[in-house]
Amino acid sequence: MSSLWEAAFITSLLAGMLRMATPILFAALGELIAERAGILNLGVEGMMLTGALTGFLVAHATGSLWLGTVSALATGGLLGLFMAFMAAQLKVDQILVGLALNLLAVGGTTYAYRLAFKDVGAKNPSTIATFETLNIPLLSKIPFIGEVLFSQHLLTYIALVLVPATYFLLYRTKYGLELRGIGDNPRAVDMRGINNIRRQVLAVTFGGMMAGLGGAFLTLAATGLFVPEVSAGRGWIAIAVVIFGNWRPQWILIGALLFGLVESIQLSLQAVGVKVAHEFLLGLPYLLTIVALVFNRSRSQSPLALGIPYHRESR
Amino acid sequence: MAVQQLRKSAGARWKIERRPDVSTGRQFVAILLALGVSFVVSAVLIAVAGASVGRAAVAALHGAFGDLRAIAETLLQATPILFTGLAVTVAFRARLFSIGAEGQFFAGAMGAVWVCMLVGDRLPSAVLIPLVVVAGLVGGGIWGAIPGLLKAKYDASEIIVTVMLNFVIFFFLAFLLGDAWRDPSSFYYQTPRMPAAAQFPELIPGMRLHWGFVLALACAAMVYVFLWKTAWGYEIRAVGINAEAARYKGISIPKVTVVAMAVSGAIAGLAGASEVPGLHQRLVLDLSSGFGFTGIIIAMLGRLHPLGVVPAAILFGASVTGISAMQIAVNVPVAINQAIQGVILIFLLMADVLVRYRVRRTNPRV
Repeated sequence: MSSLWEAAFITSLLAGMLRMATPILFAALGELIAERAGILNLGVEGMMLTGALTGFLVAHATGSLWLGTVSALATGGLLGLFMAFMAAQLKVDQILVGLALNLLAVGGTTYAYRLAFKDVGAKNPSTIATFETLNIPLLSKIPFIGEVLFSQHLLTYIALVLVPATYFLLYRTKYGLELRGIGDNPRAVDMRGINNIRRQVLAVTFGGMMAGLGGAFLTLAATGLFVPEVSAGRGWIAIAVVIFGNWRPQWILIGALLFGLVESIQLSLQAVGVKVAHEFLLGLPYLLTIVALVFNRSRSQSPLALGIPYHRESR
Repeated sequence: MAVQQLRKSAGARWKIERRPDVSTGRQFVAILLALGVSFVVSAVLIAVAGASVGRAAVAALHGAFGDLRAIAETLLQATPILFTGLAVTVAFRARLFSIGAEGQFFAGAMGAVWVCMLVGDRLPSAVLIPLVVVAGLVGGGIWGAIPGLLKAKYDASEIIVTVMLNFVIFFFLAFLLGDAWRDPSSFYYQTPRMPAAAQFPELIPGMRLHWGFVLALACAAMVYVFLWKTAWGYEIRAVGINAEAARYKGISIPKVTVVAMAVSGAIAGLAGASEVPGLHQRLVLDLSSGFGFTGIIIAMLGRLHPLGVVPAAILFGASVTGISAMQIAVNVPVAINQAIQGVILIFLLMADVLVRYRVRRTNPRV
């Protein structure tokens, strides 16, 4: 294997890592905000899938990728709003609502896709032109680093910028402090006269929007086509990444990159036809998440009241 | 426990508050409400597809219950989800939100196939079939005990660990099917067929329904006895109702956690050890169409009681056979099945809120 070929391989591997990490990063940062507000949203997968479909359908119908992106953001947000209404307002069990949303989304998107493209067989699905990658002037010309870092989709840059932005919101603003307070000790925040429910609804809706955006990245930037269950478990990966990153944005980035790298390795090896046990590799990050959960327990940053409905008048 | 206060005019106050206890009748109303609304939503979805709702309903009913063969197919489809529904029931009764039935199903199926690989086709059915069933129990039990142990020892969330373990076992199975366990004569990711002696006999000659269904019914009876007539079952229910009180009474919560998760896993494992020797006779990756997740809905619909879980599983089995008949008759995409499952769960949760809370007028001067 020549060194030139090796360098090209590694470049494409790392660029692929960033690309594959993007949808996971969006969904994970959104999930982080929701969980910080105390709501364990297990419906990420369904929100992502719905975003992926609506983004694709709107872009296919109007020819505008950005209109598709916005509608994915909106439908993800709507599902988040519904999740928040059930969880924060009605205090229904969060786990079950999330699972129900996933089932509804898997069935609903497949159903809607089959109806929308009745005549299209599985052999030649409808495609759209995807977003072009955005080569940042000058920087993208740097050998190796330029190709990996500065020749990505605009959405990838946005996702990366969201990491410090989320950190700033959560740890450097009063609003973030209050949000973390709701997740840790809702009664204390309630006593300060802050409307917990409204904050939770906002947080989960934001989480839904981010999941929808992650889904839109899959159909509008990564592939240009919708296939049933295109999200392929990435919503669950986002939930894993939040735990793997111990609920901190900077470590969530690392986690998303790890999952992205695993996917990228799998794709690259498939492309060059190397036969390895990639299934083993694919399962590894999930195992690592369990390990992280167990090993981090003494310094866990998990919100203390995560998943526990807050009843104002109970004690 | 009031949730919210609404102020109406200056004097009278209205409170939405939780009912202290919910009668069986009200719970039944919630189920009927949820199913009723879900039928309406299904009708809308069918109409959106441009099909005649009436014709679709007739086709579905005929496909699910029309003749003996249809009923046998319905019960066949109900078999795996009856097991997983019972598995979820045991875990949820201890307030352990296990989402792991899907992975434990695979663990059980893998145990069943593995034992056949070990002993080959030397054993007669009378020995091999019990061996396969036990292997399924053990496989699922181990995969259920792991999250139980991690919860008991390290307080690791059983929700998260079971979700992760679902993926771990799925990729592990894919790994095995890609190489070590692969049928060398096949192009597909699958194991060789099990020995004929391991296969479950047909329940009705000439039909696919097998003895796994009877095993599932027996399992329902055993779950009832386990939960309501044994000390362990009592402890599980006590922890589920009030963990703190149970602890003061001297019940070991870590023990209950591990037992409930292991038993739940073993039952889900049985689903795998019935589906493979009863129907597929080999391991494939798409062995389950989300049986573990459907089991959660069935357990909720059945009110975490075997007497409720059995009819709920048969209803869902009927929806699978009914919808595939409907697809042939009026060409409605079969994906409608999962969508309706989600809708049923959502409306069930909403109906629960309706029957669990009441609006009460309180004294304005207090």
